[in-house]
Amino acid sequence: MNEMMTKAREIITGYKGRPLRIMEVCGTHTHEIFRLGIRKLVPQGVEIISGPGCPVCVTAVGFIDEAIWLALEKGCVICTFGDLIKVPGTEISLAGARSKGADIRPVYSPLDAVELARQDRDKQVVFLAVGFETTTPSACLAAKTAKEEGLDNFSLLTANKTMPNAYNALVGSADAFIYPGHVNAITGNATCIRLCKEKGVSGVVAGFTASELMTALAVCIRGLEKGEPFFKNCYPRVVKDEGNPAAIRIMEEVMEPCNSEWRGLGLIPMSGMKLREEYSGFDARVKFDMPKITGKPNPACRCGDVLQGKCKPSDCKVFGKVCTPLHPVGACMVSDEGACSAYYQYSGLI
Amino acid sequence: MCVGLSARVVSVKDDTALIDAGGAKRSISAGVLDDLEPGDYVMVHAGVAIAKITETDEQEAEDIMGELL
Amino acid sequence: MSEQTVTLAHGAGGRQTSELIEKVFKAHFSNPEFTADDAAVLPKIDGRLGFTTDGFIVSPWKFNGGNIGKLSICGTVNDLSCMGARPKYMTCAFVIEEGFSLSALEEIAAAMEKTANEAGVKIVAGDTKVAGKGQVDGVFITTTGVGEIVPGADTSGKYAKPGDAIIVTGDVGRHGCTILLARDTYGIDSDVDSDCAPLWGTVEDIFSVTKDVHVIRDATRGGVGTVLYEIAEQSDVGITLDQSAIPVDERVKGVCGLLGLEPLYLACEGRLVIFAPDDKAQAIVDKLREGKYSGNAAIIGHVTEENKGRVILETEIGTQTILPQPKGELLPRIC
Repeated sequence: MNEMMTKAREIITGYKGRPLRIMEVCGTHTHEIFRLGIRKLVPQGVEIISGPGCPVCVTAVGFIDEAIWLALEKGCVICTFGDLIKVPGTEISLAGARSKGADIRPVYSPLDAVELARQDRDKQVVFLAVGFETTTPSACLAAKTAKEEGLDNFSLLTANKTMPNAYNALVGSADAFIYPGHVNAITGNATCIRLCKEKGVSGVVAGFTASELMTALAVCIRGLEKGEPFFKNCYPRVVKDEGNPAAIRIMEEVMEPCNSEWRGLGLIPMSGMKLREEYSGFDARVKFDMPKITGKPNPACRCGDVLQGKCKPSDCKVFGKVCTPLHPVGACMVSDEGACSAYYQYSGLI
Repeated sequence: MCVGLSARVVSVKDDTALIDAGGAKRSISAGVLDDLEPGDYVMVHAGVAIAKITETDEQEAEDIMGELL
Repeated sequence: MSEQTVTLAHGAGGRQTSELIEKVFKAHFSNPEFTADDAAVLPKIDGRLGFTTDGFIVSPWKFNGGNIGKLSICGTVNDLSCMGARPKYMTCAFVIEEGFSLSALEEIAAAMEKTANEAGVKIVAGDTKVAGKGQVDGVFITTTGVGEIVPGADTSGKYAKPGDAIIVTGDVGRHGCTILLARDTYGIDSDVDSDCAPLWGTVEDIFSVTKDVHVIRDATRGGVGTVLYEIAEQSDVGITLDQSAIPVDERVKGVCGLLGLEPLYLACEGRLVIFAPDDKAQAIVDKLREGKYSGNAAIIGHVTEENKGRVILETEIGTQTILPQPKGELLPRIC
């Protein structure tokens, strides 16, 4: 540990004030905080909570059902980030659909799905576009490329989400936010600065290395000690106040805001992105004339309440019994850093 | 969300950049960054360079912690 | 001239089968015990025997640092070695897809010969079947091996004891990373190569320091992380690892960084995980570091009485976390 990290550690572990709730809203922050053991470092009374920033955890059950419909009913090749493959739909997950013969392929980038469509013009390739502002430009680049090349065998199934209205929905649920560095790399800091000025919401933009996370947490705790609302960009080597204008432009060119359903939070107005009219030929829902598919989450699963901090994983009836990391029922059990999975693996340990 | 990895730009051609992360090389899109040059460091996410960056986090931590202490 | 390939006739048991065996297998596996009869007849072996079998399917059949032939010898040699059994004899059974290239088969057999020679094991019997196009992916190989357990060796996944030091014989995750890239699913190029190697020599190195070693396990499918969870459960102990002590090749780190993967869960094919008394651990590591396949061996952690069945990581910020439990299929985490 270098000198700066030691100093940050001292500030964090030395905190003795009132109880604090600090919320991070990024799946990779959750992952790194878990991997680094930061929850075990913070003093009692400081609670680090995971907000709805993991695309896997907030993706509605119905979205998985839609993807499975495209794969099994329409014979589409489904390209997806690996993250989504084990997420349960109403009946089965994409992994389950694969064992029934669906062609499900994990890809690194939506642009790889375009390449696949280019190489095999006889197959209909659908990319599952999930994620926040960081990821959405890559899906937009894919749609734009496909349109320019006239690739009529490529489309997107969109569930892209945006953070600003989610922040509004979350105001009051934490004393400070750790803002997602890579989202802000695209969007810039205007929303966070406005939240601070207009609503007194405190927060820091954080990176993802040990040093970056520890620094951001130290700044956060110092700021909360002082008591005034604050905003600080602790990731300036990547995040500029203005964000990435070219990425914002391409998002606006290809997509437009829409209402979006968040698992656990319900429908948040204008918190999603969908393809614009000009791109409807690349919208899998339009292209394949998809019927309305409404997912039915397992009624016993309380992932929604867990995500909002309304109950502990152990309060859920299926937790640890039918719902385990190997056989997840809800999304919070799917990824290692999901609230239920972490709780399950840590139980009895700390 | 958003696994990102910092990588060095090896070469750029049109809107495509070849990047190197610890010897792992991959072609990615440079479609949302202007003026990328070989030797630049970028943050890569899902096959797209999303930001030009400085190489390490050390100076950053020093600056921010310096303000704090 | 078009490339010669394996045909269904090669597997029909007639003259073409004999030709295939003569030209490809006998040419490479020749030794006095290699049999043309129904079974090999072997000299008496003293002492206790180690006896094991393993099937190999790998796509693609050839990768940076090896091929399925080398792998099929290493896998069985290493399984025997882990039990302290000096590999003596092996059999191999091939299931070959119709249309598979004969020169590729030759290359596989040559790799098997070379690796078997290095490990000091004799291939004494074999079998060849040819399956129709599409029924297998290229070639599948099953090897079976028998070895002589050296006096004084007594290892088992059940024998880990609190206080034991845990050693890995080299950097982790190279084979898994190599195969992932060889499949070219993710468009990543790297010169990372498989760690695939026969490890009887490595075990001999360990035994030259002490035979008081509790567990030796080769970290194949599922990687070092999976092996550690298996042993924690079998021995009913806890395991604490020092995250920063785990050797990982820079190239593997790069690939894992791009794809959000954990190197501890990528397969190795030339790495042992060793549980030994703490006071002998440094001497073992010192000896291993002189070895051909264990130059960056390291002590990565210890066995504990508490946290039974769990693998805990000491992190770079001086706190603890848990190594997530293995979950089978490795999937990149991007978003």
